[in-house]
Amino acid sequence: MSHLRAWVFAGGVSTLVAAATLSGAALAQVVQDPGVRGGPPGAGGPLPNLIPGGGSQASQPGFFQAAQVFFTSVFSVTGSINDAPPGLTDGGPGLGPRYNLNSCAGCHAQPAVGGTSPTINPEVAVATLHGARNVVPGFITLNGPVREARFVRNPDGTPDGQVHELYVISGRPDAPGCDIQQENFAAALAANNVIFRIPTPTFGLGLVEGISDLGLTTAFNSNPALKSQLGISGQFNTSGNDGTITRFGWKAQNKSLLMFSGEAYLVEMGVTNELFPNKRDNETTPSCQFNPLPEDMTVFGTTDPVSPPTGSTASDFSTGIVNFSTFMRLSAPPTPAPAGVYPTNPAATASSSRGNVVFNNIGCQACHVTQQTTAINGLAFLSSSGPVNLSPFSDFAVHNMGYGLADGITQGNANGQEFRSAPLWGIGQRIFFLHDGRTSDLLQAILAHASPESEANAVINNFNLLPPQSKQDLLNFLRSL
Amino acid sequence: MRKLLYLAACVCLASAAAWRGRAATAPAPNPDDGSVTQGIFTNTYFNLSYPLLPGWTVGIAGPQPSISGYYVLANFVPTGEFRGTIMVAAQDIFFAAKPFDDLMAMTGEFSRSISQVDGMTIDRSPSDLWIAGRTFSRFDFSGVGLFRSTLTAKIRCHFVSFNLTAKSPELLTALLRSVDNLGPASDKDAGRIDPRCISNYADAEHLLSKVDPAAVAPSFIPIPVRIVVGSNGNVKHVHVIRATSGQRDSIERALALWKLKPHEIDGRTNEIETGLLIKFTPAGGVIYSPGNGSLPNGRG
Repeated sequence: MSHLRAWVFAGGVSTLVAAATLSGAALAQVVQDPGVRGGPPGAGGPLPNLIPGGGSQASQPGFFQAAQVFFTSVFSVTGSINDAPPGLTDGGPGLGPRYNLNSCAGCHAQPAVGGTSPTINPEVAVATLHGARNVVPGFITLNGPVREARFVRNPDGTPDGQVHELYVISGRPDAPGCDIQQENFAAALAANNVIFRIPTPTFGLGLVEGISDLGLTTAFNSNPALKSQLGISGQFNTSGNDGTITRFGWKAQNKSLLMFSGEAYLVEMGVTNELFPNKRDNETTPSCQFNPLPEDMTVFGTTDPVSPPTGSTASDFSTGIVNFSTFMRLSAPPTPAPAGVYPTNPAATASSSRGNVVFNNIGCQACHVTQQTTAINGLAFLSSSGPVNLSPFSDFAVHNMGYGLADGITQGNANGQEFRSAPLWGIGQRIFFLHDGRTSDLLQAILAHASPESEANAVINNFNLLPPQSKQDLLNFLRSL
Repeated sequence: MRKLLYLAACVCLASAAAWRGRAATAPAPNPDDGSVTQGIFTNTYFNLSYPLLPGWTVGIAGPQPSISGYYVLANFVPTGEFRGTIMVAAQDIFFAAKPFDDLMAMTGEFSRSISQVDGMTIDRSPSDLWIAGRTFSRFDFSGVGLFRSTLTAKIRCHFVSFNLTAKSPELLTALLRSVDNLGPASDKDAGRIDPRCISNYADAEHLLSKVDPAAVAPSFIPIPVRIVVGSNGNVKHVHVIRATSGQRDSIERALALWKLKPHEIDGRTNEIETGLLIKFTPAGGVIYSPGNGSLPNGRG
């Protein structure tokens, strides 16, 4: 730590943070997040130019529809209970012994299936579903964000960083004899040893997966002088196996959608699969193991013995994780509000346009890179050839976000202060912001980018120097995305 | 008593030899060692001092150095109304994503990229200034009510920049005037001659012997390292710019034992500094790359 940092850390931080908070409070009087954009979601459907294939049974759109249904299906421990509410499908066995929820779409719901944390947090109801004996932790509330919890340290002080599922299956009729206890989250909270992550939206991720490493690197290196003027550096997270760029998740820790699906299937719901074939606490809870493993595996018959035929042969023969990753891969990116539709009055639309200029002038685009392009040879699942342009508003690199946002968790190259530039496409319809969903106020989310050691400090300084109208323009622009 | 003193001296010498054997190098300033004392920002590595404007103070600290050798050296802000900022930064040319050898080429590209930003106006194209015995390139631009100027100098193979932002042209002018007060780090540093910086000097042509650092996870992450090589070819100082503490320790110990050909000009040997990138592999290998390139030139 340099002398300068030591000075700031020792004495200056409290004053500076207090000043920033004050300025934030003063701002809030005149500048306001317009809130979640209403109207149609503009997200959740398939890419428009999927390969039609030979008949509905094999077509990509058909596969997408079937995979979307699978994404919404609800899982139980042994498959003997159909937990699916009317209109949703029974997902089959595999839940637990520890879990956060029993369905992908429960968490990935806003503003459409595949999105992020919804208005009503389903983690409250699932705690006691079918007699499960769980206490809802204090950081999970009915109108708060869907959260997963990670512990920073193990009891012996060594780094932990892993997800600790909220609930256990003890007490459920499909888990007879299982009597494990929930994690002691109250103690973890008291020891300041728990951090949170909210679900990331999955729209358009097939296009993100299709950006080559060279494409990402080229976009990242396209504005070095601008970044240098703003105090921004960053780096890519990479795979420890082959050194290639990883890009999914809050710390860009996941390499592919299939890997992302497999990891989430096990960690969030407990379902073992062909990428993650073992329960996380297999040895310690034998009385809570009920199914042959892996619970999700390739179907060798003509149809899945558990689920009814979907109408898509490709989906029926595929594993759950292939279905999940296919749903994400074939989904279209969120579409910004059409001009003149949002905000509802023409003056505000002009404000959004000005906000786009502000976004680029103060330096947001240095990390929230507006445009990326997929690999030169195109994408195998699209009928069109050649590269596809997309506007994710992210460089998919990780940046030091300072003490204020630090979670103390290292994942790959990303240390406890580093996070991926969150893609801003679709942000207009998100309810919760930042990795832990700490705020629903977009203005506060912007201000939270500044803290000691954050790469965003200069950009937030620029934001704080703007006149109120320009700040409002920026907020309106972001809510139009 | 004399025997005791002699024994103590021997022990000291042996300890010193052992310490040398553990490959420690002499302490030396690094780019991020700046500090503010009595209203003056001083950076010994770059041999710079800058008296803060009255009513200005140190702002929130910037990030740690990056893997591309980028440093935020200091931030300054007014103590009263928030009207502007000064950020001092440095980019190590050896590790820059897009290395420019020439100051004007770098600021020219910066100017071109700014000109493409919708709503941005270039108020003054890049031009050279002479401040505190150094050539700075000044470039002014403005947009959305912010007035900005960047003054950049090339020092020890780094682009050191003063990035000024103000809510008004008048304040920007005042900030620019304050940069005229730049000086050497101290009186004794006036006219100081720094080691020559030479790109990719630790290559096969110049490296006489090396000890590979023990591989420390995580793998594949490029670790930027600057070394100062004495006029005798020994490594005098190792600066691991960004790495984990385990990687840092491993690299410092190993590189301190490297021996390079002394750098000569007109028959006289010189102290130099150079850079290299090190990557560890999962199999325990070490990959060396030139500082500002991507072609591996050796494998341990």
